[in-house]
Amino acid sequence: MTRHRLATAAVCVALFAVPLAVHDEYYLHLCIVAGIFAIAVLGLDLIVGYVGQLSLAHAAFFAMGAYTSALLFVNFKWSMWLGLPAAAILTGVIAFVLGSVILRTRGHRFIIITVVFAELMKLVATNWVDVTRGFMGLPGLEIPKLYVPGLGAIDIASKAHFYYVVLVVALLAFLLCRLIVRSSIGRKFVLIRENEALAESLGISALRYSMIAFAFGAVLAGAAGSLYAHYVGFVSPDLFNFSYVTIMLIMVILGGKGTLVGPALGAVIFTFLPELLREASHWRMIIFATILIVATLFMPRGIIFPLVEHLLPQRWRTRHASTP
Amino acid sequence: MPALLEGRGVTVRFGGLTALKNVDLAVGAGEVLSVIGPNGAGKTTLFNVITGRVRPTEGSVMLRGQAIQRMPPFRIARLGVVRTFQKTEVFGPLSLLDGVAAGALARDDPDPLARAREALETVGLLDKADLSAQQLSYGDQRLLELAQALAARPAVLLLDEPASGMNHQESAHIVRLIGELRTRGLAIILVEHNMQVVMKISDRVIVINYGEKIAEGEPAQVRADPRVIEAYLGVDHSAHAHA
Repeated sequence: MTRHRLATAAVCVALFAVPLAVHDEYYLHLCIVAGIFAIAVLGLDLIVGYVGQLSLAHAAFFAMGAYTSALLFVNFKWSMWLGLPAAAILTGVIAFVLGSVILRTRGHRFIIITVVFAELMKLVATNWVDVTRGFMGLPGLEIPKLYVPGLGAIDIASKAHFYYVVLVVALLAFLLCRLIVRSSIGRKFVLIRENEALAESLGISALRYSMIAFAFGAVLAGAAGSLYAHYVGFVSPDLFNFSYVTIMLIMVILGGKGTLVGPALGAVIFTFLPELLREASHWRMIIFATILIVATLFMPRGIIFPLVEHLLPQRWRTRHASTP
Repeated sequence: MPALLEGRGVTVRFGGLTALKNVDLAVGAGEVLSVIGPNGAGKTTLFNVITGRVRPTEGSVMLRGQAIQRMPPFRIARLGVVRTFQKTEVFGPLSLLDGVAAGALARDDPDPLARAREALETVGLLDKADLSAQQLSYGDQRLLELAQALAARPAVLLLDEPASGMNHQESAHIVRLIGELRTRGLAIILVEHNMQVVMKISDRVIVINYGEKIAEGEPAQVRADPRVIEAYLGVDHSAHAHA
């Protein structure tokens, strides 16, 4: 237990020390993007990893969060401090309403409906030109100043500063998710995942708890989308592209679904890996795709946990093997 | 004594097929009611109606005087009507303890794991509490199902062929367990093909054939009923053919 706490503390210190060690703007940029993805995929892990429903609408919630923030900024000059909670709440409410209908289905039908929903939202973003400016997107978003009592307004627009904003939101997201999955709510998620009919026959409402996971997951996706919009300064319908949901699912599944830590690590690995493979640009997508196919076929627990167990000394292994 | 659970005129039609036709049943606390009949007679459909998985076309199901036939399954379970399944249903990779805790979690019990241990102890699986459900033998999985249901603190327990596929010793164990649960005041509805088991533990038996109740009474009475013998052995086939 103490060793576990020590490791957690070391990881936190290391995360906070990143801008002190990394001065390269490009690598800092990747760290920020990884952090934003981590927030989104923690939410995706709740629905895919814990409740066991494969949602392909998650990137759409991310994009809707980005658009919400952008529209509030462009039209009403709402800063990120207001735009982020607004985006999170709005996507959560939309997911709640959508979920109350579509979470009555499971398996293929649910997957297909989430794809259709994501495509519909993309059409709205593309064709509602009066509001969204269509393909031209919404430019000019800014990172707000941070007001600290006694210190006044602090500029957080630099990458090193914005990294800390993302890190704090990501850690909060992680703690909230961990709180949920370790509560009786999270245990019900897992029971529904393992045998929905049995869970229902014992008194657990699959619909209610799937909705909690789906809506809270969307809240995190919306928050991440808002951070992304203000960080990049521009939103467009490209955010609804299928490649976003693909990469998020890769992060969750190869990271190790249903573990929270795995998908968060997956977000880091699969933000950096494509960039590191850039050297071999011809081979990049082929290498990436091969890893994906092999890992999906042969490593149902993802690639991180089996790898860690394999590399750790024997005395550590058994303990880690027992954690799901 | 008024019945704890009562079905009145339960009728289920799937399209043109009548799976149940005007079936009445009632069970009180501390009573074992067995439902028997040939395969396809509608026994499992009756269970599905009582537990909310199938809505009856006509008729009602009353629990302590409250109509439950339109409620979703999880709500009926929380009111105290809990079932096991004909085909074994467990939470495969989870530990017995975590899986059995489900019913207690569903009722927001302050200590679900303690309830799970009690239920596992009742069926005699406490020493295997940390194993996963899929590591158990078939017979133990059937006992696990019983523990799962018990942790939900049922007032009415529906058992769908609990002794099927069990050897003599295992089914004797199940019979003892059911007897013990009855003395605790549970109302038990049992679907079972093993006639030895049925005759040994039932207070009353109802017989269903082609979706209709054809007999009801004490085990010995029902066993002697000519309509029951006919339904089971198919005597007088020629008479029917000419009728």
